[in-house]
Amino acid sequence: MSGVPAGGRSPLDRVKRVALYAVLLVMAAFYLIPIETGLMTSITDPATYTGQSPFLPPMEPLVEGSGRLSLQPWGNALAGLASGLVNSVILVVPATVFSGLLGSMAAYGLTSVDWRGQVGVYALFIAGIFIPYQAVLVPLTQFWYNVVPLRTLWVPLANLPLVAEHHWKLVALIVTHTAYGVPICTLLFRAHYKKLPGEMIEAARLDGASVSTIYRRIVLPLSVPMFAVVFIYQFTQVWNDLLFALTIIQFGDASVVTQELVGIGVSQSGTNFPLRMAAALLAALPTLVVYVLFGDKFAEGVTA
Amino acid sequence: MAQLTLEEVTKVFNAGDSEEIVAVDGVDMEIEDGEFLVLVGPSGCGKSTTLRMIAGLETVTSGEIRLGSRRINDTPPADRNIAMVFQSYALYPHMTVRGNMRFGLEESTDMADDAIEATVEETATMMGIEDLLDRKPSELSGGQQQRVALGRAIVRDPEAFLMDEPLSNLDAKLRATMRTELQRLQNELGVTTVYVTHDQTEAMTMGDRIAVLNGGVLQQVGTPLECYHTPNNRFVAGFIGEPSMNFFDVTRDDDTLEGDAFAYPLSAETRPAVGDATTLTLGVRPEDIELAADDGPDTAHSFDCVVDVVEPVGESNNVYLRFAGAAEDSNPFIVRISGTRNVAVGDRVTATIPPASVHLFGPDGRALKNRSLDDVDGVSP
Repeated sequence: MSGVPAGGRSPLDRVKRVALYAVLLVMAAFYLIPIETGLMTSITDPATYTGQSPFLPPMEPLVEGSGRLSLQPWGNALAGLASGLVNSVILVVPATVFSGLLGSMAAYGLTSVDWRGQVGVYALFIAGIFIPYQAVLVPLTQFWYNVVPLRTLWVPLANLPLVAEHHWKLVALIVTHTAYGVPICTLLFRAHYKKLPGEMIEAARLDGASVSTIYRRIVLPLSVPMFAVVFIYQFTQVWNDLLFALTIIQFGDASVVTQELVGIGVSQSGTNFPLRMAAALLAALPTLVVYVLFGDKFAEGVTA
Repeated sequence: MAQLTLEEVTKVFNAGDSEEIVAVDGVDMEIEDGEFLVLVGPSGCGKSTTLRMIAGLETVTSGEIRLGSRRINDTPPADRNIAMVFQSYALYPHMTVRGNMRFGLEESTDMADDAIEATVEETATMMGIEDLLDRKPSELSGGQQQRVALGRAIVRDPEAFLMDEPLSNLDAKLRATMRTELQRLQNELGVTTVYVTHDQTEAMTMGDRIAVLNGGVLQQVGTPLECYHTPNNRFVAGFIGEPSMNFFDVTRDDDTLEGDAFAYPLSAETRPAVGDATTLTLGVRPEDIELAADDGPDTAHSFDCVVDVVEPVGESNNVYLRFAGAAEDSNPFIVRISGTRNVAVGDRVTATIPPASVHLFGPDGRALKNRSLDDVDGVSP
């Protein structure tokens, strides 16, 4: 700063620093208190929950009105969301992997391979990013319920082990999410592939590798950090989606976790806040796990 | 191993809006089996494009490229059996040195795994990189990466090597070492090699023959000394040689060449070569000009000059001179003298341009007369 000898700080600097930390502290509290409140509420016995100071840990009988400690809401949330969680996993893993893989292949074909008209095709991909969800809701329902007879096609497959009749809706949702995810994945991968040295690809061509071999042995291994970025992004996107699920699955055994979360803990006798909080945190947990698993590669990918 | 032939090879790039850029214009070249040909020229002269067409990385607009008796214009790069070394080395960063060297053999041959392994080990030992086989390229120095890039090309035992400025990312000392080593390797392997460079030291020292390109047009193909002593035209004369040949624009007045600040008598032997051209360029190499003190020889070929700049290089001094009567802002010419001779800025000296060492170029740049080689020993040993 201004002419202060090394090691010392002027009073003005000190004030600035104090202000900085104060602001940081306030912001941290601002962002963390809702989560902390949810967590504390979720471990409160619903029968003793008053809602007076939901951010306090349940400490009855030590503190009157703070509720009694109970893990029962988490147990009930798990029981209530179990089938939704399973359906969401069945949905999110293939949807994420397919959109990532297809996006990567498309980006490779549009970047490192030379052919006529690729700019036009790429423009179509980019346009795909900007199609609003609302505009496709009705066509989507029509498509999966009236145009493509997936429901009847699925019937023979339903007898296979681990496959159920209602799974056809999840397949429809997987295809929809994959299709919707491919453009943004292509964009992300293309930015990455444009930075790959052209001479390296040419060296591989001279070494006798075909277009597909170059992808498999050179480009794909060098895409790992970008796959982490895409996987985290797509996983979060698909896991948290409610709109497409409501449109395509509508209701029934194939409901995903976001759909089940809407109704849990709500009844005519009132809202069961501890159960709702536990369910919300439970439903958010997988996205956190994915972040932890791919976090270091993600950082590599976004800073590359 | 095979002979490589380029016949009327032309490359036209479309720069959009029906604008066309001719990068390579009708290049004819024959590279003998086992020959080391250096393709040299200034940046943008089309030398890299020519190399990339031979590699198959660029299409050929017209003309024909043959490897042996096989026309390879439309052969994909993978099937040409050609290996290329890139300026950036282009190593595969996620593979070890072993993986890099194996890749070409795995993709282009159906050799058994242990045969590939043995070939890789053998080549690595020859290149002195056997200790680096399990390292990744990022763990290697620039010189080591360069060796791996060479090894990766050699291990494939191709019919031809193409090298695109492979030494230009190395420091000067290493570059000199690698220059010698590359020559030795090429000699041992006897593989037809096309080597692209803009560095004329590399061109002069490495090639069996050099091909000089300018503006996409082949200017001359010949041994380094042919290009040096008997250039086809003014461009080759100026491009080959460091420092460059001195050029003076002159007009012919009967048997005298009139320059801005000097007049040079035209000898009887030279007159027929000049014909009836009147605007000429006189060229003379810096080392051919003789320098003497102010009271030096007083012949028709001697001129009084003033020293403008002295550049000591060590073994020689590059002395920039101006004719005594020339304007202050006229371009000086360069004389190369022994590094032990002492010349100071501002000295008045006498420069003698021997008639035997004079080159004359016509108005179109074509060489009308090159220096006589009577006074040069051992051009053809």
